[in-house]
Amino acid sequence: MVPVLGRLLILLALLAASAGALVGFATGARPSEAGWAWARRLAYAFAALMALANLTMEYALLTHDFSVGYVAHVGSRSVPTWVSLVSLWSSLEGSILFWGLVMGAYIAIATWQNRFKYPEYMPYAVGVWLACGAFFSFLLAGPAQPFATVPGPPLDGPGPNPLLQNHHLMIIHPPFLYAGYVGMTIPFGLACAALLVGRLGHDFIRPLRNFLLLPWIFLTVAIVLGGWWAYEVLGWGGYWAWDPVENASFLPWLTATAALHSALLVERKGVLKGWTATLVIATFLLTILGTFMTRSGVFNSVHSFTQSAIGPTILVFLAAALLFAMALLTLRVDTLVPEGRLQTGPSRDAAFLVQNLLFVLFTFTVLLGTVFPLVVEAVRGVQMSVGRPYFDKLSVPIGVALLFVMGVGPALPWGRATKEQLRRALLPPLLTASALALLGFAAGVRNAWTALALFFGGFTAQVTLSEILLPVRQRMGSHGESVVQAFRQAQRRGRRRFGAYVVHAGAVLVIVAIAVSSTMGASKEIQLRAGETTSLGAYTVTFVDADRVVEPHRDSVRARMDVRKNGRSLGTLYPRMSRYERQRELIGTPAVRTSLTEDLYLSIQNIDLASRTVGLLVLVNPMVGWIWIATAVMALGGLIALVPAWRRETVVVRLPVPITSASAGGLR
Amino acid sequence: MNRITFTLLGLFALPQALMAEGARAPDLPASNIAAPRGPPLSGAELDARTQHVGALLRCPVCQGLSVADSPATMARNMKAEVREKLAKGYDQEQILAHFERSYGEFVRLEPPVRGVNWLVWLGPLAALLAGGTLVAFALRRPPRDATPPALEERVIAASTPGLPSRDTLPGDPRLAAAVRRARSLAYGWPHGVPPKHPAAAP
Amino acid sequence: MPVTSTAGAAVARATRFNPRVLAAGAAFVVPLLILLALNLRRDPHAVRSPLIGRPAPAFSLAPVGGGAQVSLETLRGRPAVINFWATWCVPCLEEHAALRAAARHQRDVQFLGIVYEDEEARTQAFLQNRSSSYPSLMDPEGRTAIAYGVFGVPETFFIDAGGRIVEKYVGPLDARAIAALVARARDGAP
Repeated sequence: MVPVLGRLLILLALLAASAGALVGFATGARPSEAGWAWARRLAYAFAALMALANLTMEYALLTHDFSVGYVAHVGSRSVPTWVSLVSLWSSLEGSILFWGLVMGAYIAIATWQNRFKYPEYMPYAVGVWLACGAFFSFLLAGPAQPFATVPGPPLDGPGPNPLLQNHHLMIIHPPFLYAGYVGMTIPFGLACAALLVGRLGHDFIRPLRNFLLLPWIFLTVAIVLGGWWAYEVLGWGGYWAWDPVENASFLPWLTATAALHSALLVERKGVLKGWTATLVIATFLLTILGTFMTRSGVFNSVHSFTQSAIGPTILVFLAAALLFAMALLTLRVDTLVPEGRLQTGPSRDAAFLVQNLLFVLFTFTVLLGTVFPLVVEAVRGVQMSVGRPYFDKLSVPIGVALLFVMGVGPALPWGRATKEQLRRALLPPLLTASALALLGFAAGVRNAWTALALFFGGFTAQVTLSEILLPVRQRMGSHGESVVQAFRQAQRRGRRRFGAYVVHAGAVLVIVAIAVSSTMGASKEIQLRAGETTSLGAYTVTFVDADRVVEPHRDSVRARMDVRKNGRSLGTLYPRMSRYERQRELIGTPAVRTSLTEDLYLSIQNIDLASRTVGLLVLVNPMVGWIWIATAVMALGGLIALVPAWRRETVVVRLPVPITSASAGGLR
Repeated sequence: MNRITFTLLGLFALPQALMAEGARAPDLPASNIAAPRGPPLSGAELDARTQHVGALLRCPVCQGLSVADSPATMARNMKAEVREKLAKGYDQEQILAHFERSYGEFVRLEPPVRGVNWLVWLGPLAALLAGGTLVAFALRRPPRDATPPALEERVIAASTPGLPSRDTLPGDPRLAAAVRRARSLAYGWPHGVPPKHPAAAP
Repeated sequence: MPVTSTAGAAVARATRFNPRVLAAGAAFVVPLLILLALNLRRDPHAVRSPLIGRPAPAFSLAPVGGGAQVSLETLRGRPAVINFWATWCVPCLEEHAALRAAARHQRDVQFLGIVYEDEEARTQAFLQNRSSSYPSLMDPEGRTAIAYGVFGVPETFFIDAGGRIVEKYVGPLDARAIAALVARARDGAP
């Protein structure tokens, strides 16, 4: 009963999406009220059907209905309820079903928000969105069926991958990732609509920017959550390994950030329209490439799902999307006529372009490194690796350069700057920069790149802070308000700007924290017997004893470590070494003690209960906690920049006559 | 050419060339590993170098981690072998070549510079240069054959009747300063003063 | 912006062709798609051995249960089969029967097992239990496994009389595979 219901819902969703896509494109080419109304209805129907399908699957998971194919694959009676709930997105077919849910939700919101606005664009946008929705519905109806009926349902199932049951982060990392990833479909549709209509005015750039910013916030948090998960759960002491699947999530983030900045130039000056559209389209295409990289099994990754039939299917969709985008851009990009001109010479415009250049360069580098083993195998027939050392080496100068541009850009004025203005804008932050670099040197920083990161970090922090305070100072001067009043007023009126600088502040912190934590840490690997003590820096760690802990999904040996810092006791940490069912290699779960300045990280390399010896890896990682805090700051800044847009007054204008292309053209 | 672009190009290009230095490797020698090329190491330096070289080798078992990071038995054995060889005085390239003999180029996490591998090191540099050129092109001074100001003036005057022309200033000095500032931003006139009509371009 | 008439707007919205975009797109998109399509069948975790056709790495290891060390030199002059295995590896235990039978029948071929990351006591018990027909050697620090480029178990190397590796077989062997590969080791053709 449940599998049949699920399959029916998916088929209906496929129908709704396909029909809606056709209606959308037809209405775009030949506008009509009825066409638009139907396109909207089909969009809402698709969203509702996907939601119902997901609810059905959750019902099946929670009631352990093993007649449903996916539940038989990942369900289990012996796992806690929350694990059953999150099993929806733990494996292949379920994660695509979840993708459909998120996509439906985004399409519904985007359609409903703009149901009375942009009548020339919206049908095209809905057409593109529902075409993507149709593809994913097709995947669910065909190659990746979660609701396949199991002929002889088993009494119990194996449960989801035990590694995924390890940490509660599993609850939020995938939903955030999907909210970011899938959300990029919306600006893609809007950009395609702009190209199809042949116009990208500063009115339409606004929803494009908002629907780029919202998924961006989710994606930023999701990427860092993934890093946090790796750090807290995997035990090697790092948070980013440049694994192909990690890169898959990072690539669209890079182009989306570039697009957010060039969209600002579109809004302000009416330039770089075609370029912004290209970046937005590239972001979407990278999400599809990313999902191909994760699911096809072509790339050597620790995260990849096993190779399945859907690899070729996704590749076909990627090819179709790439060809569609190329055709659209080749034929229509020249219709996006610029309304102004870029400022020549050193100015903020130049800084925006350099920023875009650096982000696109970063994207290219990461993409090249990730696919390069495939290239070499095709050309030389040799299997080789492009791993962490390569990516670390190349991303450091790019990151530092970005830190620099983030400081120089806002310091420069919008128009042509005179030498005097340049001097006044750029010299004071140099003092803060030097101070921070000297402070770092005094604290022991000897790595040149870290010192440079501190220098530029100080520079950019000063610029960002003064930009945040600029309207406050102006209001205090011209309106005579107090600091608090001026701040509140400035924040209310210039929330986008304020939010943007908060994001920058967070970004400075992230880059500096990454620089410091990568180069200023200390490590030690030592074999300890029960009762023995070791020390690293100000910490002393005593291995007290080890015991065995048996849980449903894993069998662990747990070490008890007493920790002291400068003589004062900090309590006990329990790193463990576990054998998960269905995994051959033992997996260590570290114990991490986070403080504002540094983390003490204990990870077991090998442990023997009989002889009560442990091979322990002790790490002192400075400033790692700041990475997580700074990401929260970035997300907060993004939300601040987003908020006023949603509260904008919507004026409902109902036109008595249907809009035809002639009258729409005349409104130019 | 934009100075910022140049500075950044230089900032990036120079270290890039130096970086590939560490990955340069001759083709695989046929015979077994020869005599150690460097001085024997010990103590803290040995630990640090073991970590460093270990980070350049892929753990064959859990293939996502380096030998330095992986807790797998195989990785620990490999790390011990790295340590032993460093203590004897073998240098980094000899040790990497030793493991490459057994496992293939796959085991090196940093692509050695041979054959088509050059592309992965030079590709980003080439992209930076190409992109930098495009950016410089986009920021270049407007071409000489733009509409001469006189014609522009007439067109604007014709389309906006009733407004004062662009070279008059209001009486109030503060307002005048603001208007000049606005003109410098809007029209690109230095100090907001309209340039003299240029002589006909030669 | 010049004011356009409705007809002009229609003309402005007509498609124009930008060859640079097409060239840039094609140069990037086409190779990427071809590359991804070509790689759909391959398994990125299966790495080919560089030792094939090369002399087998030397070793000198003690047999399980003690005794005089066995080195690679002792195998010279006869084809050899070196099987890396462990008692915790289920496919290794399954293939053991086939290897044992092959060792009994192919008298001119020297079969050898090398224990991978396991305890001597357990391997000894297993071998006595199964009355193995060929010796197994202990590899205490895994150096030999590393030298042979072992990724996991079971992996089996077929070596010709001259000491060159003819083939590396990853995974559990059956009688047919053993026979075919032993024949190739006899021929000495990689």
